[in-house]
Amino acid sequence: MLVNGKSLGAILTHSPGTTVGVILVSLHLLNALFAPLLIPYGETQLVGQPMLEPGHANFLLGTDVIGRDFLSRLMMGGRTSITVAMVGVLGAVLIGTFFAVSAAYIGGFYDDVIMRIVDTKLSIPGILFVALFVVGFGRSVTVLTIVIGLSYFPGAVRTIRSQAMTQVPLAYVKAARLRGESTLSVIFRELTPNVVEVVVVEFAIRTSSAILIVSALSFLGLGISPPTPDWGLMVSEGVNQIYQAPWLILFPAVFISTLVVGLNFASDGLANALGLDAARGLHGG
Amino acid sequence: MPLLEVKDLRIAYQNPSTGEQMLAVDGVSFKVEPGETLGIVGESGCGKSTLARALMAYCRPGGVIVGGEVLFDGNNILEFTDEQIRELRGRRMAMVPQDPLTSLTYHMKVGPQIDEILKIHQQLGAHAARLSTLKLFEGTNLPTPEKSYGRYPHENSGGQRQRVVIAGALACQPDLLILDEPTTALDTTTEMQVLKLVKELRDRMGTALIYITHDLTLTDYICENVLVMREGKVVERGKATEIFSAPQTDYGKMLVAAIPRVDAAFPEPAPAIDKQEASTATPLLNVENLSYRYAQRWSIDALFNPQQEELAVDNVSFELRRGETLGLVGESGSGKSTIANIVVGLMAPTSGEVAFDGASINMIDKFRSAELRRRIQIIFQDPLSSLNPRRRIESILTRPLKIFFGMSGAAARDRAVELLEDMELSADLLKRFPRQLSGGQQQRVAIARAFTAKPDLILCDEVTSALDVSVQAHVLELLKGIQNKTGAASLFISHDLGVVKQVADDTVVLQKGHIVDAGTTRSVFGDPTHTYTKLLLAAASRREDYADLSTAAPTTAGALRGR
Repeated sequence: MLVNGKSLGAILTHSPGTTVGVILVSLHLLNALFAPLLIPYGETQLVGQPMLEPGHANFLLGTDVIGRDFLSRLMMGGRTSITVAMVGVLGAVLIGTFFAVSAAYIGGFYDDVIMRIVDTKLSIPGILFVALFVVGFGRSVTVLTIVIGLSYFPGAVRTIRSQAMTQVPLAYVKAARLRGESTLSVIFRELTPNVVEVVVVEFAIRTSSAILIVSALSFLGLGISPPTPDWGLMVSEGVNQIYQAPWLILFPAVFISTLVVGLNFASDGLANALGLDAARGLHGG
Repeated sequence: MPLLEVKDLRIAYQNPSTGEQMLAVDGVSFKVEPGETLGIVGESGCGKSTLARALMAYCRPGGVIVGGEVLFDGNNILEFTDEQIRELRGRRMAMVPQDPLTSLTYHMKVGPQIDEILKIHQQLGAHAARLSTLKLFEGTNLPTPEKSYGRYPHENSGGQRQRVVIAGALACQPDLLILDEPTTALDTTTEMQVLKLVKELRDRMGTALIYITHDLTLTDYICENVLVMREGKVVERGKATEIFSAPQTDYGKMLVAAIPRVDAAFPEPAPAIDKQEASTATPLLNVENLSYRYAQRWSIDALFNPQQEELAVDNVSFELRRGETLGLVGESGSGKSTIANIVVGLMAPTSGEVAFDGASINMIDKFRSAELRRRIQIIFQDPLSSLNPRRRIESILTRPLKIFFGMSGAAARDRAVELLEDMELSADLLKRFPRQLSGGQQQRVAIARAFTAKPDLILCDEVTSALDVSVQAHVLELLKGIQNKTGAASLFISHDLGVVKQVADDTVVLQKGHIVDAGTTRSVFGDPTHTYTKLLLAAASRREDYADLSTAAPTTAGALRGR
């Protein structure tokens, strides 16, 4: 596969940082995918004494406060938040692409309305919006996914629109219009393939921040509900034992940060390799 | 001792992903004596700009000087320390780059930018620097030095900006001035003014010049000696006039032959069998009293702050008969592209009447019938941006066939191959993406695409101005060929009088949205009546009497560039 004349391999190993990021993300994704087959105990089963230390003969990383196998819970703990973050952001980016490209192409009043809605949403603090939404509609994976989607939609629209704006004045778009292509056809056939890089990078960058948000919500008790294992939740469960059993928060924190750092490295490298400015994506809302 | 001597200079660019080195300048040697003017000519990608930078001991990122020497006053400047180089640049040698807008700082007035050079290199005080700058501005024929001094770069016209840059380059009276395509971004008449200025300054100050350009006619005008470069190597060298009149190598001959000369003989008129009949019938395109004013874009700001803009096209009338070619000539801002956009339906006229085949087409494209859209096609200036970068050539050519004729599958493919063959392109290209083609190939694909529709009228909007001279000649020939084959009429828009003279039956000369001259190409070019036409012609043929004409019609000098 070639993107901008670069092979996928060349993009994914663009720089040492990118390679590290890609390896971290791959390990996490593989773990999340195959964890149900690999874990030694059921992640919600009570299997031993509470708070056994890591290095125990039967429990590699010990047990948690009520005696569940900690390794099993850790390995399963990313699945929900990663899924919520990825599905939510994917929805935001895909629907966002349509609105962004159509706003750029159609312009005028339509563009103004969309962009002012985007501005309005961007003026509400992110975590406040998410927390209020979850409190209002209840804690469930569906609600979480929707709220993640809604949170990342405006930023995605803004970034993708700016890329689409560089394409709209080009002659190939005029040529398409002049041969009588419908508006939708110009949007999907002509413009969308030319903003794909931005969409991919946008997805990668926003996913990492969405994983952080979901973990933060779980930590606050607004995210994923027990007994489903989740890293954010596990950190909050372990907070009271921080002096007796620091590993209870250390391990989930390491898992969260390696995934997020990996995603940031990988998406930064991706953006660089594709000739886009990742910083714009990170700070664009 | 020569002022500058380059010995076997080799510069390579490294491909960042494969690490391969490619020689951009391959064993170039030459000498420049004090006060001499050397022209370096070549087409895009021949390494001439890389060479120019190396003469000031600079390489673009990714470039490496692999070997050779650049001796300035006998010292190899490639071995100089940064400190020594800084000492040299600006003071002993200076450079004028192509685009004057990007070589001046946006946020500073132009005067202080030149002051700075004098303050740094000649340790002048603020007042002395200002006086020297004003003197330099005067010397470069800026009409009002005092006013120019206090202007920002964007407030000056393209020609004025380039004069400011030249003033800056000459500030410390360097021994060597390197000009890298200094007039390529300028209109022909402005170009001529700048060239004349450079020539005068050289004669007055005795500065040695290295003039880098793709245009052989320029070197003929300004240079004593010329190097012709191709793929990093010098392929021909000699006296400018000799190379221009009697090139020795095949490449040199091809380059000279490819130049569309405005002073060349008229092409043989095409057999005028149909034209008798055509002249009595209704014209294919009839434009009457057409005017266009740019409307402000809808925005909340515009509601509170309405502005009236100037007319981009003002009361223009002309007609185009079936099968003929009408040339639309003018400099940037003359409204020629606006007219094309109106005819094709990208814009609606503010007032006036555009009739196609007897019926009014005053509306934008979405109100036109599919049939009408098919019959009028346009070819754009920049071939790369007119082809969707994410579509293969096959898709680019078959899509209009599907839309206009409902063709698909093998039939559409065959037709696409046929059109590619008309453009002397092979069917292998179907699987490629536009970026994998050369500029000339891209433009030929764009022409093929326009002809998929079997149009009656084809609008050519500066179709060759983004191409190299040698490629331009071939593309024009192919365009003419397919036009004769299909019998399509064409509205040929160009700023290049030489090209228009080659292809157009009739010519209309536009200036700032007005028609200033019109008639058959023969009469307009052979016996121009209007001063502006004379001016354009003189500038295009690099005639010395340009100066007398320009004082008679100084209107274009102050015109701001911009489409």
